[in-house]
Amino acid sequence: MPPHFFDLHILIIEPIFTLVTVIFCFLIYFKTKESYDLTRYKGIGYFRDAFLFFGLSYVLRFVFSLVFFSTIVFDLIPSREIFSPFFIFLLGYFSTMGIFYLIFSLVWKKFNNRNMLIFGHSIAVLLSVISFITRSHMMIIYLQCILLVIAVVLSFVMHMGRKKLSKTKLLYLLVAGLWLINLLVIDRRKPFSSGLDIFFEAVSLAVFAVIYHKILKWIK
Amino acid sequence: MTKKRERLEVIFDILKDISEHHNSIKPTPLLRRSGLSSNSFSEYYKELISKEFIREIVDEHGKKYVTLSDKGFTFLEKYKLIIGFIGEFEL
Repeated sequence: MPPHFFDLHILIIEPIFTLVTVIFCFLIYFKTKESYDLTRYKGIGYFRDAFLFFGLSYVLRFVFSLVFFSTIVFDLIPSREIFSPFFIFLLGYFSTMGIFYLIFSLVWKKFNNRNMLIFGHSIAVLLSVISFITRSHMMIIYLQCILLVIAVVLSFVMHMGRKKLSKTKLLYLLVAGLWLINLLVIDRRKPFSSGLDIFFEAVSLAVFAVIYHKILKWIK
Repeated sequence: MTKKRERLEVIFDILKDISEHHNSIKPTPLLRRSGLSSNSFSEYYKELISKEFIREIVDEHGKKYVTLSDKGFTFLEKYKLIIGFIGEFEL
């Protein structure tokens, strides 16, 4: 059965969630600008870029879910077939770069930064092309899941014998993991109920709020 | 063995030395106090000039002095907070 014209989740909760998330992401990006301008410290640069890309990804996710929803409600399936792959391509690229920049901000001292960036952009483009060809945002989720598992395994291997998972790494893992869950939410065949959508969106907002609060502690 | 100083720490030490000398010090004593090789100091010095953290001033006797700019003072003021931020997020 097609969704009702007035879908509370897509028309009210989604825009509010997206707006607040994007505001948090851009606040984090702009709040850390002065520190980066003063120091040109690469770790700060990658951290800022991660939230810039996540902000853009959440905007695209919202536009994509709106297009997805409106084409079903107004029975415009052909136009969805035309536009979706392009949204999926951009969504795949921006969100993969968001995840990569979060990882880069932690590991940049251990690698050649030029090679690391080339690698990140190449994987993001490859992932986007695969998602574009398959015309499925689910492909983004599968591929980013694999990326995330590799990143977590690498992190454990690199820090073996040292302290356990830090609060910061846990926060980063939550940002990336919740992104994947929130991307899953836009699929109508999602494996969980509407109540759970709202729960995950609320947890995402809480994670972004905690990160922003931690930044405010140091950067007034 | 002493730990190698991070880039930001070296910049902070150089700027702090200038500030502690009433914001006016000659380049040679600054090099001595920095604990860097002359090549390394020269690179940092050029970087600080190009980023406008410090300025060179020549007095009426033709002697060169180094002073902090407003940006340099801002860096000194914010350094500890920025280091705290970097530590907090493991950057």
